[in-house]
Amino acid sequence: MTEPFNRQASSGAPARGRLAKLAALLAAGLVLATAAAFAAGGTQVYDPKTRQWISYDRTKAAKYWRQHKQVPEAFRAQMVKFRTAEKPGTIIIDGNQHFLYLVQPGQKAIRYGIGVGRDGFGWAGIVRVGRTAEWPTWTPPAEMVARDPNARKWAGGQPGGPDNPLGARALYLYEGDRDTIYRIHGTPEPWTIGLDVSSGCIRMNNDDIVDLHSRIEVGAKVIVLMQGAALYKGV
Amino acid sequence: MRRVIQSAVIALAAIVNVSGPANAADLTIAMPNWWSGKATANIIKVGLKKEFGIDAEAVEMGTLTAFAGLDSGQVDIHPEVWLPNLDNLVKRYVTDAGTVAMSPIGVPAWQGICATRTTADKDGIRDISDLSDEKKTAVLDTDGDGRGELWIGAPTWSSTEIERIRANSYGYAKTLTLLEVQEDVGMAAVDAAEATQRPMVFACYAPHAVFKLHDIVRLTEPAYNPAKWKVVLPAEDPDWLSKSNAAVGWDAAHYHIAYAASLRQKHPDVVRFLERIDFKPEEAIDMSYALQVERQDPLAFAEQWVAKNQARVDGWAKP
Repeated sequence: MTEPFNRQASSGAPARGRLAKLAALLAAGLVLATAAAFAAGGTQVYDPKTRQWISYDRTKAAKYWRQHKQVPEAFRAQMVKFRTAEKPGTIIIDGNQHFLYLVQPGQKAIRYGIGVGRDGFGWAGIVRVGRTAEWPTWTPPAEMVARDPNARKWAGGQPGGPDNPLGARALYLYEGDRDTIYRIHGTPEPWTIGLDVSSGCIRMNNDDIVDLHSRIEVGAKVIVLMQGAALYKGV
Repeated sequence: MRRVIQSAVIALAAIVNVSGPANAADLTIAMPNWWSGKATANIIKVGLKKEFGIDAEAVEMGTLTAFAGLDSGQVDIHPEVWLPNLDNLVKRYVTDAGTVAMSPIGVPAWQGICATRTTADKDGIRDISDLSDEKKTAVLDTDGDGRGELWIGAPTWSSTEIERIRANSYGYAKTLTLLEVQEDVGMAAVDAAEATQRPMVFACYAPHAVFKLHDIVRLTEPAYNPAKWKVVLPAEDPDWLSKSNAAVGWDAAHYHIAYAASLRQKHPDVVRFLERIDFKPEEAIDMSYALQVERQDPLAFAEQWVAKNQARVDGWAKP
């Protein structure tokens, strides 16, 4: 049962433009090609009708997105019961289930769907939101520039915008005063929510990251669970 | 938090402020930095005021500082001294120096491995031996490698090293990946598992707010047997793991109120009061929950607690 959930803000992204681009991609059959880049993940989605956990993979994700133009209900932002000793405003990231919780008063949380990385190294622990940015510039890591011609053209930084891999907002995760280089950010590829994508930090739909950004304070505690938590450098 | 004391007693001495508290209060209570300790320190404070009109100040300080203060007379009361964790301090100050005394009443504490109710009922993980059954523990897999994970504690706790020894001795180190990470991460993982009805097994101890926050089952296991408890810690021997063997449950722990022996002359009525305080483990869980989860102010909580338990508190103070 999804509890009513009111967004505080919207990304203001040129939605029509994004959809037009998506349609063009679909026409070119590129969504599946992109999906093929997803790492094989073990995501499952809870089906409230059958009360069963069903597997959710890249093929299902692409198919679902084609049919519904949104991610499955489990990965949409919603208020859920969440009993915890953590105080409201704390972010808890469950990479295995592909959920990010923002703790709310009254033993509840807003749960957002996320896409996470699987390759590289797993990481878990406690960090904080050190700073945030709206429509952030993306600078590809040097190794990505070296191997990817598409990244090479943005070696000096890709300006923020609907095509930018960091999406509408970025939350920069710090350990003390040190930037961990991990980020929670938006994405121009919303269908990847719920999957272990081939590379990336924690990604959320642009509307969700805008909503999360509007609700958190700089300095917010972020707990990254150890299960399946694979965050890694770059995007 | 209290378990950190086990491995960090020496480190604490270096970082805490060792200067004595300067205040106008009649008595000083050392207040621990964990939740039930904050509650009990304040309940004693409120009780002393109500029963004897004594102004006591609860001052947060580390355990070593508290014992040094009890020894020197700068501190009068410590509400939670964990045994056997602090046996060495008790020997030094209570047995040898005789400057500190302990209430004979202890609150029983417990540690072991826990599961959520769903895990016990649906997945059949109820006994420590179930952890060696890879068919059962496969449900605890959270990273897709087919092998379950088990949080055994924070890296700074000596209990975590002992949980690793126990996992090796029982054999479930072969079926489970043992995880060490801060307690907040371990507990948030339990919260997230409960929120999605996913199975979860983890190292735990009581009293702890998690028992009120969620429906938690303690795994059964063979009782503590000193003859079968061979624990060598990494600080003692680099080959600690191979030299250790402990395929039995933990020994029971207790925590007691400690007070400066000088109180016997200064305030025999207070000593009588302290030695009658008989908190129950369930009450300690409620205290932790009220302060940690409900974020109640420790002093306000203590005032309510004393008001609600008025007859009992009066009984502790009777001549």
